[in-house]
Amino acid sequence: MLESLLGSINRERVLLFLHARNEGYAREIARFFKTDLDPIQKQLERLEFGNVIYSRNAGKTRVYSLSPRYPFLAELKALLDKALSFYSAEEREGLVMVRQRPRRKGKPL
Amino acid sequence: MKPISDMTLGELAAYACTHLKSKGINVVLSGGACVSIYTTNRYQSFDLDFIENIASGRKKIKEVLQEIGFSEEHRYFKHPETEFFIEFPPGPLSIGDEPVMETVTKEFSTGQLRLISPTDCVKDRLAAYYHWNDRQSLDQALLVAESNDIDLKEVERWSAKEGRSREFSAVRELFVKKQKSE
Repeated sequence: MLESLLGSINRERVLLFLHARNEGYAREIARFFKTDLDPIQKQLERLEFGNVIYSRNAGKTRVYSLSPRYPFLAELKALLDKALSFYSAEEREGLVMVRQRPRRKGKPL
Repeated sequence: MKPISDMTLGELAAYACTHLKSKGINVVLSGGACVSIYTTNRYQSFDLDFIENIASGRKKIKEVLQEIGFSEEHRYFKHPETEFFIEFPPGPLSIGDEPVMETVTKEFSTGQLRLISPTDCVKDRLAAYYHWNDRQSLDQALLVAESNDIDLKEVERWSAKEGRSREFSAVRELFVKKQKSE
């Protein structure tokens, strides 16, 4: 959808995912879009170098988010919101709905 | 000309800034290096973050910096005679989502340096404190306020625009004390 503007389908995927879920890691994003890990990692690195996103370590995982210090953050979010509005309800729900509440280790259900 | 190995951070920044400008590349120093300069190295930074609003392109920058002995290593430009290194973070020159409208020019024996103002330097450090909850950034902002005139009304206005009025209120008195002790 934004591929021609952003120059890469994987850059679009990364930005949409991080906007919709607030954060994400490379394998999670690749798995969600059923794509290879390598191009997702490359886009994460490029966007981080451009200060569009930032990362932090959570255990052994590098977790990324949109950077609150990016000067065009509000405009970028508006663009991504518009793009998300073109997704079907099912697609949007798949991207946005993720369990956030804690789950005790070892719980059977 | 002083040898590069003997240059302070400010002198090296001015030397590089002047050389870049002579080749049509206009940059402004931002980030931790400005804290070093405004605190006469009470906080020591090693990276010179030069920001260019209209990008000249990596190739041109590489060629121009090679003329004064810097070579590209990954995303940095290093010189064999100094620990300081140069980086070109992507523009625009901004503090939060606001463009930087006025910069400061400082004279060194090695050239002229354009850098963000002490007030913008404080805002830049506070942005890191607000968003990353980084206490060191707040300490750097206070160090800058200790030895420079800071427009606290402007910092307050900007903090409110960033949605951080409450956070600024919590540290405002610290800045007022530092300004009085200047």
